[in-house]
Amino acid sequence: MNNIRLIMIGLLVPALLMIPFSIMSFYTDFANRNPDPSLVTVDFNQKTYNAIEGKKEFEQYQCMGCHTIVGNGAYFAPDLTTVYRRMKENDALLANFMMSGAPAKGMPPMKERSMNIDDAYRITAFLKYTNMLDTNGWPGEGSWDRDGDPDSVSPEKQNVSDIWQVVLGIIFINSLVFSIIFAFERRNNEQEEGS
Amino acid sequence: MSEYPSRIKTRKYFITAVLLFVVQMLIGIVMSVDVLSRDRSTTPLPFDILKALHLNLMVLWLLLGFVGGLYYLLPVETGRDIKHPKLIDIQFWLLLLIGIGIIISEIFFTGRNWWLVEGREYVEAGRLWDILLTAGLLTVVYNVIATMLESRNKLSSPILVLAAGTVGSVLMYVPGEIWFDNIVAAEYFRWWVVHYWVEASFELIAAGVIALILLAMTDARREIIEKYLAIEVALILLTGIIGQGHHYYWIGTPDSWLFLGGLFSALEPVPLFLMVWSAYKDLKENHKPILNIVVLYMIAGATLGNFMGAGIWGFIHTLPQINFYTHGTQITSSHAHFATPGTYLLLVLGISYLAIPDLTGRMNFSQYRGKIGFWLLVIGFLNIIFALLIAGVIQVYQQRVEGLSFMSVQNTLLPYFEWRLIGGLIAFAGGLLIAYDLILISITKVGSKMNK
Repeated sequence: MNNIRLIMIGLLVPALLMIPFSIMSFYTDFANRNPDPSLVTVDFNQKTYNAIEGKKEFEQYQCMGCHTIVGNGAYFAPDLTTVYRRMKENDALLANFMMSGAPAKGMPPMKERSMNIDDAYRITAFLKYTNMLDTNGWPGEGSWDRDGDPDSVSPEKQNVSDIWQVVLGIIFINSLVFSIIFAFERRNNEQEEGS
Repeated sequence: MSEYPSRIKTRKYFITAVLLFVVQMLIGIVMSVDVLSRDRSTTPLPFDILKALHLNLMVLWLLLGFVGGLYYLLPVETGRDIKHPKLIDIQFWLLLLIGIGIIISEIFFTGRNWWLVEGREYVEAGRLWDILLTAGLLTVVYNVIATMLESRNKLSSPILVLAAGTVGSVLMYVPGEIWFDNIVAAEYFRWWVVHYWVEASFELIAAGVIALILLAMTDARREIIEKYLAIEVALILLTGIIGQGHHYYWIGTPDSWLFLGGLFSALEPVPLFLMVWSAYKDLKENHKPILNIVVLYMIAGATLGNFMGAGIWGFIHTLPQINFYTHGTQITSSHAHFATPGTYLLLVLGISYLAIPDLTGRMNFSQYRGKIGFWLLVIGFLNIIFALLIAGVIQVYQQRVEGLSFMSVQNTLLPYFEWRLIGGLIAFAGGLLIAYDLILISITKVGSKMNK
């Protein structure tokens, strides 16, 4: 078969299949029962903020640079999909936590990153919305679902007696790597001398 | 050489790409210190900004390397010079300007302006930079297509695949930039950028470049290389396009994706293995002496890194039953630190080592530094990969199965993050050595030794 024709089949068959799959993902009869972000709101100081405004603020303050949302993002800080549930569905608790941060664990007080209290409530509305998403059961019974009080665990100092596992790991992996390198280079040199 | 005068313009693309890579590694090292200390006073910038720069610099130098590589390889295959040589310079400065713009807006405008910083993983660059980048890359596409349309030779499939990969990476940048109110749709299309870059467009570029380099360096028959390339590319697209589903397990999309994503992404290692096998076969049956050993190292490393990092490391957590536990843990981090440098870094370095000695006429450069640099990168990255993999397994068990809290698990992982830092420092040494070597090769006066 012609090479280009083979490539075109490889491209077009799955690309065309992606169209019905994408429609299926969002067409309401099949899609998961996710809430409408414009209807998920949080009230603060006689103002109402919805999750759409919150999503924009969430992006702008780069929350995904440390945290994950639906498991995507950086792995420096806990997942935020169900943080609203972990914060006892308390808007004020979550918004105030954002503003003051947890400097001992690496989270800056977001007010130092120019966040104002209205933005904090907007993001709270967004996190209220992500908590209602139908994520096919994820994160399940893992700790992200029951991390509890955000201040429950303080950062501990590292236990020196744990180091031996890592030292063994380093020795094992590197002896493997070095033996591969030496075997490879030696074989190469022999071939060069032989030829 | 002299028949394609525009080729010399690509030299700055490669040098800049390698220098940006060194900066990216430096940022990675600062980040790994941040993970250990969790203290803002030990690092110059907050973690989220460092992370955004770490990813965006990578995107930038990958694009620079690929665009430079395309401009370097295109004239020989088409038998004519690039149609608009001036655009090569303009595009370079535009890409560099966008890069500087992204860095400045990350450092000074995070949280202040959505047009300058969007803060979504991999596409942190604000809307302004997205538009400029797309416009700049569209001119690259125009220049490539204009050159190919006036080709003097019959276009071979490797160069078509390479060009298709470039066009695809521009096209696939657009869906991720559309605004959706809904996080599910936003994540759905954000993955089009990330996944269709690394597992379709960039993979096409990789396959095309590897085929072209093998064609140039070995005496393997052209028809065989082209046939293998076609099968590989068809399989990459066949598995990769619907293999996208492995990103749609837990983002709020229907559970039919668990089946589709699991099935197709489990097949993704097959074409990657085929790439290793065909390259191995070509090199084994080769009788032509290979002068530029460093390129051979980089290309062989790229095929193996692609198979191991993207194929095997991807496969270990791609099935939904496993991904339910491993999603969003250090396992993903281990996979990313194997697949991206293992494939695309080595590929860009391979093209650089092919192009720069050729452009400056220093074909007899000392290959000692390149080899040592390559092995330092391999040792460093394998240490990072295994440290993160073991950390990931511990994290999955303690946090997702036993249910310990995030922070207490992070404390358990500290020794492994120290191991990762050691690996990072070794890899950084390798990167510095390679950058130094490439700059040394490139500063020879152009054309001085060419006609001897």
